[in-house]
Amino acid sequence: MAQDKEAITFEVKLSKSKLGINERLRVDFAMNKDGDNFTPPDFQGFRVLMGPSQSISSSWINGVRSYSKTYSYTLAPTAQGKFTIKQATITIDGKVYKSLSKNVEVTAAVDRPNDQMSVDDIADDNLHLVAEVSKTSPYLNEAISVVYKLYVSPSINVSNFRHLDNPKYNNFWSQDMPFTRYDVQNGTYEGKAYRFVVLKRVVLYPQKSGQLTIEPLSLDVTLEVPSNKRDFFGGRIYTQTNKTVSAGKRIINVKPLPVEGKPSDFGGAVGSFEFSVSTSKTTLNASESLQAIITVKGNGNLKLFQLPEPSLPGALEVYEPEFNEEVRTTLSGMKGKVSNNYTIVPSFRGKYPIPGITFSYFDPEIKSYKSVTSDEIMINVMEGPLGSGAITNAPSSQNKQAVIGANDQFNFIKLKPNLTAIGTNYFFGSTRFYFWLFSPFLLIPIAVLFGKRREAIASDIAGNKIKKANKLARKYLSEAKKALGNKDAFYIALEKALHNYLKAKLKIETSEFSKDKIASLLSKKEIDETAIHAFVDLLKNCEMARYSPFSDVQMQQDYNKASETISSIDKKL
Amino acid sequence: MKNLIVLLLLLFSFTASAQNDSLFNRATTYYNEGEYEKASENYFKIIENGEHSAAVYYNLGNCYYKLNQIAPSIYYYEKALLLKPNDREIKNNLSYAKNMTLDAFEPLPETSLSKLYKNITRLLSFDQWSYAAVLFVFLFILAYLLFYYLRYSTQKRIAFIASITSFFIAVFCFVLALIQFRDFKAEIPAIVFSEELIVKSEPNNRSSQAFLLHEGTKVYVLDELDDWKKIELKDGKTGWVPSDEIKLLKDF
Repeated sequence: MAQDKEAITFEVKLSKSKLGINERLRVDFAMNKDGDNFTPPDFQGFRVLMGPSQSISSSWINGVRSYSKTYSYTLAPTAQGKFTIKQATITIDGKVYKSLSKNVEVTAAVDRPNDQMSVDDIADDNLHLVAEVSKTSPYLNEAISVVYKLYVSPSINVSNFRHLDNPKYNNFWSQDMPFTRYDVQNGTYEGKAYRFVVLKRVVLYPQKSGQLTIEPLSLDVTLEVPSNKRDFFGGRIYTQTNKTVSAGKRIINVKPLPVEGKPSDFGGAVGSFEFSVSTSKTTLNASESLQAIITVKGNGNLKLFQLPEPSLPGALEVYEPEFNEEVRTTLSGMKGKVSNNYTIVPSFRGKYPIPGITFSYFDPEIKSYKSVTSDEIMINVMEGPLGSGAITNAPSSQNKQAVIGANDQFNFIKLKPNLTAIGTNYFFGSTRFYFWLFSPFLLIPIAVLFGKRREAIASDIAGNKIKKANKLARKYLSEAKKALGNKDAFYIALEKALHNYLKAKLKIETSEFSKDKIASLLSKKEIDETAIHAFVDLLKNCEMARYSPFSDVQMQQDYNKASETISSIDKKL
Repeated sequence: MKNLIVLLLLLFSFTASAQNDSLFNRATTYYNEGEYEKASENYFKIIENGEHSAAVYYNLGNCYYKLNQIAPSIYYYEKALLLKPNDREIKNNLSYAKNMTLDAFEPLPETSLSKLYKNITRLLSFDQWSYAAVLFVFLFILAYLLFYYLRYSTQKRIAFIASITSFFIAVFCFVLALIQFRDFKAEIPAIVFSEELIVKSEPNNRSSQAFLLHEGTKVYVLDELDDWKKIELKDGKTGWVPSDEIKLLKDF
């Protein structure tokens, strides 16, 4: 300041160096000491609208006086082109000072012939709301993040802001990441130094393919903008104003998942995952419970797909799964694990397989589908009642359990082969069957005929007699008949036969056998004389035959006689 | 000469069955040592030789159960049951195997009348009913003849009543045998062999999926068209499946 005390300045200031033909130009000639004989230039190409107007300001700061005197003109250009504001002269303390000449370009008419920068203009230039999108062409269900930043240039101050309109993310699954306080950070915007505040962070999962728009975020910001007015001390006066800023609409081009190679069981999982199926135990008793846990772990749209369901044997009692999720959402998407916890209670003994479960997902990094299949798990139920299976002969299934009983083990194989030739060999419908079924009916006529005949025979007396005699003869004389022709043997046999007959009929012992005795016994039984006589004669013949020759004819006669006699005696007895 | 041929044939069949018996015994040893695959190979050899029995099929079912193969296990148990319908061991192990199946469905509800009807007809197999019919025909003839020959009126009366009753019982048995034989012929059970079977609503690949079945489920074949079979489930659902996905039980 000390050297400036002596120095005298005389300067020219233009409000702008380039203006439209419909705009005004303000030219100030300023000096720091009062002078005389101010001569303005001739402002060629311009028309003086106002001026010269003088303004003088002087101030004392820390005992130093500062002084300024200004001559101001307001000019309107008369033509387009390049013009020069020529030198002005003034005499200060006897010396002539000249200002520098300045070039001005006059262009065609402009839209807003505002000479003065309005507060809004300044705010527009210095306040920017920006939505930063991490990825503009994601896959369906791939995470993208949107960060809203408010850039404020150092020349203005933000005193307050208010959310006017929170964007709705149609066709997106969105999760806001709230934070407790706004941190002011330094950064650059279009190459200029700015301060910025992160206002909002959102993770989005597009739920539809195609062109999706993110609605803009609008803010009502209260600003303090420097004005041209100055306060008493020369400092600029800030005027307060409200300004609505909005981040522009963003278009997200969502790519559909490729159709090629899409697994049939694809459930919409996008990301990179690990898949596992586990059970809390594999060996247990019936009516105890076990947990089967299906877990998916990794990065991706964890909350947005269905976990694959196990297909469990129908004989197991399975309860509704308990869903667990441990998911953290960061700007890069969801991370963590989701699991379904099935409680299973087997009621019956046996082996129950849990077949392998397949989980498919799309990996946007390698742009292809991946399938993970878990191993089959076999559950052994050791103790407990034996089920009949859910699909046995329907109504009696309950009964059947009771019949089989609670302690039936899995049976060992059979040890006897009992093999038969393969082929259908049913009894029903076979000729054998019909033979056995109908042949008994033939017995009826046979039996009836037989009965008739028997009756007829019974009624025929004469025939009967002969028959009876023959029968008796057959019984007693069979041996004698065999010996017919052989004299000695025949008569021995005949005698024996006669004795036997008597023995059977009259109950006499062989020892007391004499012809008289026989005769008296027979007559006691009221047998007629001729028959007794014939019988005794026969016995006599038998005795005599031993000592005298007998012809074959006689033998035959004696045989016939014996049979006749026996039958005639028998009739009486 | 003729006698010689008969003798030779007898001898041949005897050696064949002796061979099968030894195969069976070897299979038993393998099974007991835990070599189920070898055991099942032996059983198949017996079947290839043209002989079978409920025991062979039952043992095959046991082998597959031990190997955790659901469909063949149930298939052979069911086959054994066809030959020996009321064997308790087979039923017991079949229920073990059925526990492993994934499908469970509620059977169609039945009226008490049809339940009674089924309970009576299924009391005996149709062969057993026909044996009973023959037995009662004999009883009827015997009683009738007694009636014919006996002289006293009380005896005659008893014989008459006995003959009439056994005649009606014989007719009843014959009718039941007939009904059951017809039912048996009409019923074509099969077992689902593929792990997951999509049942279609029409016998072509374009048609929509009617429902899903899993291996080991018993179905009944109703109809056939080209390579497709119409099946019915215990709960009354019907649909079409490719013929090679299921295996008929009555193939002997």
